[in-house]
Amino acid sequence: MTDSNITLRFHANGRAFHPGEEISGEYRFDWLALDEIQAVEVSVLWYTDGKGDTDMAVHDFRRISAEEGGWIDPRRPGEFRTVLPNSPLSYDGAILKIKWCVRVRVFSERGKEVVGELPFRLGAVLSVKAAAP
Amino acid sequence: MARRIRIYDKKRGHRRSGSAKAGSAGEAIFFTVFFLLGCGGLAGLIGTFVIPEWRATHEFVPHRCAVLDMRVGHIQREGRPFYRPEIQVKYDIEGETYVVWTYDVHNVRGNGYSPDKLDAQRVLRQFQAGHEYRCWYDPSDRTAAVLVRGLEWWVWVTFAVPVSLILIGGGGLIYRLVSWGKSDERRSALVRKAASLAPFEPAGGGLDFPNVPNMYDIINSPGTTLRYRLPMTASPFWALAATLAACLFWNGIVGLFVVFAINGHVSGAPDWFLTVFLVPFALVGVGLIYYFVRQLLVTTGIGPTMVEVSDHPLRPGERYQIFLSQTGRLRVNSMEILLVCEEEATFRHGTDTRTETRRVFEQPLFRREGFEVHRGMPFENLCDFEIPPGAMHSFKSPHNEVNWNVLVRGDVANWPNYERSFPIIVYPGEGGKSR
Repeated sequence: MTDSNITLRFHANGRAFHPGEEISGEYRFDWLALDEIQAVEVSVLWYTDGKGDTDMAVHDFRRISAEEGGWIDPRRPGEFRTVLPNSPLSYDGAILKIKWCVRVRVFSERGKEVVGELPFRLGAVLSVKAAAP
Repeated sequence: MARRIRIYDKKRGHRRSGSAKAGSAGEAIFFTVFFLLGCGGLAGLIGTFVIPEWRATHEFVPHRCAVLDMRVGHIQREGRPFYRPEIQVKYDIEGETYVVWTYDVHNVRGNGYSPDKLDAQRVLRQFQAGHEYRCWYDPSDRTAAVLVRGLEWWVWVTFAVPVSLILIGGGGLIYRLVSWGKSDERRSALVRKAASLAPFEPAGGGLDFPNVPNMYDIINSPGTTLRYRLPMTASPFWALAATLAACLFWNGIVGLFVVFAINGHVSGAPDWFLTVFLVPFALVGVGLIYYFVRQLLVTTGIGPTMVEVSDHPLRPGERYQIFLSQTGRLRVNSMEILLVCEEEATFRHGTDTRTETRRVFEQPLFRREGFEVHRGMPFENLCDFEIPPGAMHSFKSPHNEVNWNVLVRGDVANWPNYERSFPIIVYPGEGGKSR
């Protein structure tokens, strides 16, 4: 998926996974020079959408910071890999939706932040509309 | 797309969300003001009360003095009188005689006033003119002497205000500074790491099933027919007590004003504005009494409802048994058991916090009409049910929930209808798959 000049993709085909399954993929951004990148954060997270205030929790988080000696080469794709948890499962409800995604946040030396997301489904919960009798 | 500080970021659905950075800066300023107010207040209290009293206790020299005269001193502040005890004493130090008006170190510093005149008079009654008493004088200013030392209890209570401000402001400020410049994901990861280090069991389904509510309260009571007896969402007795408290509180206050209004009418000087103003409040009070009586009838007249379940936690696609026992002496028009799932969303609307609930699943498990329940012979029913395949599991996060409940609904002749709710926890199906 391409969003905000960050390209993300899974190694496996499809965007639906089961709890306990390992997901892996890569991200790429080549519009910044090597010395312009301050840090990159890669998160696998869920967040809520709908009527209520947004809740969010990170399942897996990795930060690579140039200041802390991390090596970030925008010419080469970065990788992410994690084993998905048992819950919460993706959900498409009436006033609540639970969405999972891989989010990459790039911080540049000029103080700019760029975010890219790759959504996916965890589990196979039916949507409220589909489950309605 | 680059992101800069903006007062408003974007519109999310029907809401407009503010800039996160502007919000963080606003919160930091807010907590800084709290913190500074607390520090200022604490410094003021220490300077006004603690340091002078510490000097009187540790540096003043013990001596003897004779009481010459007494009076209640008073001043006007913002049009209100304030009082303090003033005692004229005479003491000699190294051949030199000093005559001063004093009581405690605050008098010496020109303060010590309070609006309570009786308190000042009570203090003066402890002394008698012409008698000798122990006193303490300031070695650096021998004209300053006190008859009592030590802070009164209320001084320490006043410290609660600035200390609270410092704790709230300081805590908020530290949190803001620690999280400043950090992304939402990084903050969330820090919170998760801190929670994993906590010595207590995390709330919810623990590490195995994050954000699935804890089921301990549900499985800690064994059933008589099936494995677990389900607790009720809200005990009817607590609900009754809360209704009674609200009823007494509201009608107590309204009743006072009603008495004033009636007295006015009886004495021939009716206050028609008060009378008309009280009508809607009195109607609410009557409504509360009606609601309380109705609750009382349901609680006392309709006996306890017990629901037991064959296993727990429940999983989508699995079949279970449920047992209902209804005691009392009732002529039942209809009684049914429902399996329901509700979404609950909490959101801020201006300065209010609101909660909206939406029922997304309702399935009748059992229904029977036209029967009687006799005292000592509870109505009992055992039935099978299934959590629908592909159903959402129970879920709980700070502002959003998915709750499953077994609902018992009764229509009883000559009694108000009633509904009792019993929470159950649904876990994700094996492997998160639909069956």
